[in-house]
This record gives sequence, C-alpha cells and structure tokens, in this order.
Amino acid sequence: MIEVEALAKRYGSFTAVGNLSFSVRPGEVLGLVGPNGAGKTSTLRCIAGIIPMNAGAVRIAGHDLASDPVAAKRELAFFPDEPRLFDYLTVRQHLAFVARIYGVAGHEAIAEPLLAELELADKADVLPVELSRGMKQKLVIACGLLHSPRAMFFDEPLTGLDPLGIRRMKDSIVRRAREGAAVVLSSHLLHLLEEVCTHVLILKKGEKVAGGTLAEVSAQFSNGEADVGLEEIFMRATGGSES
Amino acid sequence: MIGALLYLRLTSLRNLVVYRVGRLRQPRYLIGAAATVAYFYFSFLRRLRFAGTGGNAMSAAIIALIVAGFCATMCAIALLTIAYAWISPSATPGLQFSEAEIAFLFPAPLSRRMLIHFRLLSTQLAILFTSVLTAVVFGRTQFVGGNALMRAAGLWVILSAFSLTLAGTNLAVARLREASEHFLLWRMAAVASIASYVFAVVWYASAFLKLGSSSAFFSEDGLGGLAPGLLASSPVRWLVLPYRIVFGPYFASGLYGFAQAAVPALGLLALLYYWVSSTEYRFEEGSIALAEKRAAMKATMLRGEAPKAGIFKPRPQPGPFPLSPTGPQEVAFLWKNLLSMRSSLLSRRTIVMAFSITIWMSFALGPLFSRRGGSYSTIIVVFCGIAACYTLLIGPQVARQDLRSDLPNADILKTFPIEGWRLALGELLAPAAVLSLVLWFLIIVCSFALDTGGSVEWLTAGVRLAAALCLAAAAPVFCVVLLIVPNLIMVLLPAWYQASRQRGGGIELMGQRLILGIAQLLVALFVAVPGVLFGSLIIFSLFVHIGLIPAIVLAAAVVLAILVGEAAVGLWAIGARFETFDPSMEIK
Repeated sequence: MIEVEALAKRYGSFTAVGNLSFSVRPGEVLGLVGPNGAGKTSTLRCIAGIIPMNAGAVRIAGHDLASDPVAAKRELAFFPDEPRLFDYLTVRQHLAFVARIYGVAGHEAIAEPLLAELELADKADVLPVELSRGMKQKLVIACGLLHSPRAMFFDEPLTGLDPLGIRRMKDSIVRRAREGAAVVLSSHLLHLLEEVCTHVLILKKGEKVAGGTLAEVSAQFSNGEADVGLEEIFMRATGGSES
Repeated sequence: MIGALLYLRLTSLRNLVVYRVGRLRQPRYLIGAAATVAYFYFSFLRRLRFAGTGGNAMSAAIIALIVAGFCATMCAIALLTIAYAWISPSATPGLQFSEAEIAFLFPAPLSRRMLIHFRLLSTQLAILFTSVLTAVVFGRTQFVGGNALMRAAGLWVILSAFSLTLAGTNLAVARLREASEHFLLWRMAAVASIASYVFAVVWYASAFLKLGSSSAFFSEDGLGGLAPGLLASSPVRWLVLPYRIVFGPYFASGLYGFAQAAVPALGLLALLYYWVSSTEYRFEEGSIALAEKRAAMKATMLRGEAPKAGIFKPRPQPGPFPLSPTGPQEVAFLWKNLLSMRSSLLSRRTIVMAFSITIWMSFALGPLFSRRGGSYSTIIVVFCGIAACYTLLIGPQVARQDLRSDLPNADILKTFPIEGWRLALGELLAPAAVLSLVLWFLIIVCSFALDTGGSVEWLTAGVRLAAALCLAAAAPVFCVVLLIVPNLIMVLLPAWYQASRQRGGGIELMGQRLILGIAQLLVALFVAVPGVLFGSLIIFSLFVHIGLIPAIVLAAAVVLAILVGEAAVGLWAIGARFETFDPSMEIK
C-alpha cells in the first residue's frame, strides 16, 4: 500500500533523510520514532507529497507519487501536528470543501457520524477561531477521514487532545487499520506506539537504525532480556542522544 | 529590575544588529538594503541637502506657519485621542507587553509597579530610537533651529509626553471604572473639561486674530511671527502652557535655550511618569488581550490580509452558493475564497471606504469639470476610467484571497489531489470574479454615459454596445492575468513576498518591499502591452475597410486570445512551481 524506496531529502548541504526504504501493507500501523531532528517529519511530508524528495520513489496504493501525484494523493490523508484550517470556513463548510476537492458524493452521510464520533457535532457551525486546539485537531482528522483514505500519515496525532480524545484517536487508528488502511504514525509518545503500532521504524540522523514488527525490533535490541519495552529499545537503538 | 531590562534590550539590540548585518551576506538582503539606502538618499537626504540652494525654496515665514500648523494639528490629535479614551473607554485596557514578555515577566516575582516601570522604560527606549532616527533622516531641516541631537531629544520629550499621558489616562479611566460608582459622571466631567478647554483656546485664538494689532502678521514679512505672537498673547499663553513646555526643547535654537526649555519639560515628564507608575490598576488581563490582538494582527498580515482595526471576530457566513460534492475542484476554491472575502474584504469598513472615495472624487472632479465646461457624462466617464485604473492596479493588491492568503496552508493544499495549475486557477477565481464585477459595473455605466445623442457621429449605440461587450469579455481574463503576477512572484520568491507582508524588519526588508512593488507594477504593465498594441493596431488599420464594429470585435478576439495565452502560461508556471514548492524551506 505504501512503498518507499531509497527516499532522500536534503536541505541544502544537510541531509534530513537518506536512502530510506520501507513499506506498509494494508492493516499495518507503522510507528516512526527517533530523536528530535531524526527526519521523521521530513519523511512524512515527503511521502505525503507536501515537500519534494531529492531521490527515491514513493508509491501510494500503486500510484507513483512523482509521476502521478493526483492519483496518489487521492488515496492518502496527512494529519499534521499543528492543525491548519481556513479561518472563514465553519466546521461543516470545511467538510463540504474537502468533499468537493476529493469528490466525495453524499458526504453528509459520512460527515455526520464523523462529527459525532469526534464530538464536533455541536460545533458544526462555528468558525475555527472559536475552537480549542484539540477541537481544531479533531476537525483536521474529520477532514482527513472524509474520503476514506487507504494510506494515512499522522504526525504527532495526540497533540492537544484530551484523555477521552486520545483514547478515541487510538481506537480510530486501530479500527481504520483493521478496515484495510495502511498507517504511518510519527510520535515521541512511545507508549502510544506500543499500543497502536504493528511495526516500528527507528530513525536517527535521517537513517534507518532498525525496522520491523515490534517483536523483531525488540529481539534485535533486547540482548536476550525478556519484556524489554519500546522506550528501552529506543534508548539502545539511538544511543540515548540526538547525535 | 532596571539592570534586567537594560540587559534584555541591549542584548536583543546587539543580537539584532549582528543578525541583520550577518544576513547581508545573502544577496536578497544586500540588494534590499542597497535599494533602501538609494531610496532614502534620493527621496530625502539629497533633496534636503540641496534645499535652499534652488530658487523654489519656501520663505522662512511660510515654513514657520506650516510648522505651527503641523504642531497645532498634532496637539489636536493628541487631545482628541485623550478625549476618545474618556468617551469610549476600553473594557480591559492594558499596557503593551509582547507575548514573550508576558510569558516571562507576569509569572516572575515582580510587583505590578515594577512591571509598569519595565513597560514605561521600554517604551521610552523605543521612542528614543524613533526620535534619533527621525532626527538623522530629517536632520538637514534647519528651520527649527538647534542641531540634530537637540531635535532628537526634543522629539523624544514630545512623543514620551504623549505616550505617558495616553497610558496614564487609559489606566486612570480603568481604575475609575473599577473603583468609582459614579464612573459615568467622571467621564462626563472629563469630556466636558476637555471640550471647555478646546472652546477656550479656540475662542481666545479667534479673538487674537480679530484684533487690529495682529493684522501686521498677515503681511508676507510678518507671517512668521503669527504663531509666536498668538502663543505670547494672554490668556492663550497660559492655556497652552503644557504644550509649550513639551514642545520647548524641540524648538530651542541654541544650547542655552535648549537647557532652559529642557528643565520644565523633564519635570513634566517626571510628573507624568510618576502618575502612570503609581496607578493601582490590574492591567494584566488587558495586557494579555492586547498582546493576543497584536499577534493576531501580525498573523493576519502574514496571511496577506489587511489588519483589522479593533478586536476583529469573524462570524460564520453561509456559503456564497450551494457547493455540490462533485464537479470541477476549482469551484471549491472559488466557493471558499468568496466566503473568506465576504468575511474579510467586503466588510463595513471597505464599503464605507469605497463610499467615501466616491463622494470625495465627485466633489473633487465636479468643480474641475464644471469650470472647464465639461458635462456630467464626461465627469462620469472620467470617474469610471479612474476607478477602472485603480481596480486594475490596486485591486489585485487588495483582493488577495487567493494563493497568497493560503500560503500558511500550503501543507494542506499540497496534499490535495489536484494539479498545480488547476489549484492556481481555483485560487484566483474569487478575486478575479470580484474585480470583474467592479469592472463590468464601470463598463455599463460608461456605455450609458457615453451617449452623445448623435453629436459624435461615429459613437453610435452599436459601437458602444460592441465595445462594452468586448471589454466585458476581456475583463475577467485580464483580471486573472493581473492576479497571476503577484501570485507568481509569491511562489517564485516566497521569502521576498513574506518580507513584503511584515511590518518593520529593517532597511533590507524595506528595500525588498520596494523592489517587489515596482517589479509587480512593471510586470503587470508588461503583460498588458501586447494586448493593447495588437488591439489598437487592428482597430486603427481595419476600421476603414471593414467598419468600426467588426474591427472592435476582431481586435477583442485577438486581445482575448493573447490574454488567454498569457493566463495559461502564468497558471502553468504557478502550478509547476507550487508542485515543487517546499514550504518548510521556502517560507522563512
């Protein structure tokens, strides 16, 4: 579903991501972890088509992102850590706008349960300025889910959500994956990744340090110890520092 | 505390200077700085350097009168501002702290009075900087006497006095609202006092001007003495005493005079400072609101919109038309941007402004044409012509609900499944539609106003109709072409464009803004030239052979084809550039 081959992203002479390859199949949730500056956000933004990559190839549901970006983007949804919304569109108008962009016929039937699920139903006719940060985040999520994407990219999805929102978000990610979506999730919250992810990819200085199922990565860094948590694995894999 | 303030300000200033000088290594900043220096040199310094050497230098008397009038206007504005603070007091007035200052200083173990000291001293430093800069830039204006240093100090006294008085008034009004049960009575008394004061000044000034002794001032030689004479007359002399004290150092001609004037001025400033700093008002809430408002204004400007006066709170609006979930995606952008325009551009303020301009132009143009024997229809046509020019030149800068206002959402736009050129077209549709509507209205009015009743033989109803229809057909495409220019510049030079949206930012950013503005105008003229040339050529070469109406229609078709071609190239360029646009790198 999501195939990344030899992805590279450079900012001037600085290499943010180098020669990164991985794939996420339907039903899988890949956790992208790494210290600050490891290249997680750059990776997500490259594979979501937001920023151009310098080398490599990305295929979303079989569509090459470079040669057929429109078809690839039709299948994906990107959820940024900072909710970006249009100031003068109400919650409902945001959904109507996104529905037109993605050509979602009968979007009202999808939007209403989504709004209810995300507890935005009573805020449907207010502008973003009247929403809390958590609610803005929920609106971004509603907009992203409206067209039932087959590939989903979450960048720190729990930022700004209340405990109930966090629980629902986690459940929602797992449910979407079970329904056949391929999910990539970047977060510093390792316990979240442990709960939600089927696979994990550890990055450091833009390069892959470890990758595979949680069990595989755990085995790689457990040194024979039992019940080693992701936090400990992360520390061992990255050496406990950014550099 | 003073040490901490000085450390903060001086360290920030030093780092700012180091940063600004360091970034001159980048060509765009160096070019911007060079442009600003050139602008200032040719606009101010060079002109002022040679002022007085030419034959057109104004007489000292006239200059003195202008300066007196300017000062009187400034005093009146200051008084009006103070009066307004009493007439319409802010619900939660505050002192102007930055968001960072609020974050660091409000939770710090500092008393409220210390915070006031911090704010007031910070303001004084800022005012001192402004005063020095003004004195340096306008340093060659010798008519007020003294040297640049004295004028800088004098200006600092004037601005500080006003700033302290306004801050003190706001806090005093807020304190009264909090503490007094007779707040309304206090306000009424204050406004009545200000009104009585103004009345007394105007009354005695009029009485002085009516006196026979003052008639000597109205000769060319005596004109320069009019203001000093008025200020020396009693009781005006005493009524304007605070103003005289405040303006004294600025107008002092020598060092001794300056020292003499500075003593009472500094005494007055000290009194004002004491008054403001001893106010026991809980200003924190108001200061936070003020900081948020300033941050929102800054963000609004960065989005490419005009900053809103007062606390602007947008209200939900129904969509401009029902948006079907299927169909061309461009329409979704038209729908979204029209919604945004309705909330931000088509506000009451814009309508009042347009109405005011219309009234002003009517008054200005009416007498002009009636004096020259022009008819009302001529006035209307000229008015429409001027309005059309403004719509085409200024319109694309005002109606910016397109890619420019969506730049902060570039991340989201880039995930949309739509080709770049189609996204660009969709984004431009709303401002193009609004500008086209304005132009169509002007074309219709003109076509009726140009009815000469047969006195101009060739200007038949058919010609007017054909010209109007052709212009109406070309207008939307031309608007799109004109809107492409700033949008293309934005995606090609995003850093330059961002710089043009920020206030301040140093001389290098000012230069960038200058260059960008000129470049936009030149490119807009450049894209208009081929259409105008070919259109004119066709009409003038063919109308004798095939008639005027067919020539107009043919010319319009060619012009339209040129414009469509230009629009297509422009949209393709924006789209292609936007597809490779890297928001993380380029919006900095």
